[in-house]
Amino acid sequence: MVPFGFLDWFWLIAFIVLMVGSGVRFYRLGKRSESDFFLAGRGLPWWLPASSVYATHTATDTPMWVSGVVYRFGLSGLWYTFYAAWCSISAFVSTKIFRRSLAYTQAEWQSLRFGGMSGELLRGWVAGWQVFLNMFVLGWVGIAMGKVCGFIFGWPLWVGLIVFSSICGLYVITAGYWGVVMADFQQGVIAFIMIVIVSIWGIHAAGGAHEIIDKLHAMGEAGRLNPFNFTGFFEGDFPVAWFITMMFIGILGGLGMATAIDWFPEAQRIQSARTVKDASWSIWAGSALVIVRNALWAAAILGFFVLYPNLQDVKDYEMAWFRLGFENLPAGMIGFFFAAIVAIHISTISTHLNLGAVYITRDLYHHYINPNATQHQLVWVGRAGTLLLLLGSFVFGSIMENITEWLIFALWIMAAGVWLPGILQVLWWRFNGWGYLTAWVFNLVFSWLVVWVLPAFGVIPHLRDYQQFWILMILGALVFIPVTFATKPENMDRLVKFYVMCRPIGWWGPVKREAEKRGLI
Amino acid sequence: MRFVKRTWTSKEAEEWTKEDTITVIISPLIYVLLIVGVALSVLLIPVGFMILSIGVALLLVMIYIIDPKLSAISRGYEKKQKEYIEELERKVKWEE
Repeated sequence: MVPFGFLDWFWLIAFIVLMVGSGVRFYRLGKRSESDFFLAGRGLPWWLPASSVYATHTATDTPMWVSGVVYRFGLSGLWYTFYAAWCSISAFVSTKIFRRSLAYTQAEWQSLRFGGMSGELLRGWVAGWQVFLNMFVLGWVGIAMGKVCGFIFGWPLWVGLIVFSSICGLYVITAGYWGVVMADFQQGVIAFIMIVIVSIWGIHAAGGAHEIIDKLHAMGEAGRLNPFNFTGFFEGDFPVAWFITMMFIGILGGLGMATAIDWFPEAQRIQSARTVKDASWSIWAGSALVIVRNALWAAAILGFFVLYPNLQDVKDYEMAWFRLGFENLPAGMIGFFFAAIVAIHISTISTHLNLGAVYITRDLYHHYINPNATQHQLVWVGRAGTLLLLLGSFVFGSIMENITEWLIFALWIMAAGVWLPGILQVLWWRFNGWGYLTAWVFNLVFSWLVVWVLPAFGVIPHLRDYQQFWILMILGALVFIPVTFATKPENMDRLVKFYVMCRPIGWWGPVKREAEKRGLI
Repeated sequence: MRFVKRTWTSKEAEEWTKEDTITVIISPLIYVLLIVGVALSVLLIPVGFMILSIGVALLLVMIYIIDPKLSAISRGYEKKQKEYIEELERKVKWEE
């Protein structure tokens, strides 16, 4: 339990009022139309979606994750957190292409890129998957907040899960994405300031930078200061092969779309930017902030390691950054720190509430149920969808402890086998909807086999995650590439329109020539 | 003639050029330099400040190279955006 004084409660309540108030203030803008409720009218300067990218990806569980890998591996652990690197290429490739498509969501993109039944099936599948995934992420992040509140106040898990997500739901339901992005900006600033203060404070508490380095040398742990402290090419906890795979997935994934789970919230931020250029810089800058934040945390966690070098239980050392703050900040600052944690928490919750709701509204209700819905109806469906996600997240959060392993597996299978098709849909004109659908279906089958079934029966050994990635990628390609060639290409009229509007890069020669022949470019 | 082109028409900017290639090579490198540079600088390790400085310098170079091209793409595209939004609503509509 952490003692809270009057000043601490003052900071906490003041910040909650400020954060909720700044969201609700944009109620009038949010209710104008579907485009306002989900994309802030496509009119934001680059720094607003950028701050939202940063704030969204700074969740309550993020410092736990970063603390865990840096405590175990030292600065090498930073590469586990480097997945945001896909934005370094995406900002100048797939972000531009997606922004030009004007699709509200990645599901809608499917019916622009692919036509006919395969495009519709892909749209329905991606929309349904995203509703589920957002609910799951809300539960996951919510239960992390429950753990933090348990650590600070001794509350039962459900209190932290429900209270702060509900407070956040107030402004997401009233103001939609306008509320999300405006509150995110403010929350992002508060969180970043506090991350800097607590990290520096933590380093000071460990005796200062020089003392940390000296102690690491004295403990025989100087390797923790080396970000490239490999344990061999294939051997050990941090092999070169893993690092190369991570860089390959992370960086080249930016050529495509939906190659990382983070693509989906980013897609919404890309479309909310006022120009193509604003979209590009927002994605680049938001992820750069994420990278810098991870580096700040890592330095502080090394300080924590020096203070507490022998923690064995992950539950102890994953709280490292929180402990640095709560155990070392002076009276009065604790409330400020907790307010920053609340900011971190609700900036993520707000994004996933609105993001899940856009799939319910735009891709399911507007597309399939009521294509002639008025803007007023669409905004109200968006609000109802937000409430549904909020309630669903409480259910998920309450059973999370039992299902986490299965859900991590579910996330993994959605990443490994569809990584290459995610790129091909952008770079290769001949790749069609049936090929992409096949990739999704067979990925599910192959993942079960490679990760669970075959190792369980001793047919193949238990493989490491990077080995699974390569195998699943190759197995998937052996199926979806023949299927692509065995089925017809997409309709040329559709492809030409798509090409002229989005200007994808890569192998689009026949489509480009046709567009030139028609005098469209 | 300058190595890097900084004046673009919208039509020219639509094509993939060496400016794009340079950008997608140095952009991930900047991320690597930032993450390593910041972590080591916070620990007051001298090489960290050097890495961070190179990262910031490369960032400025990247902005110098690609920003004019992005501006030209935006100028050309945003003129047609309204028409494209109408097209989008028509094209993605569910038809029995």
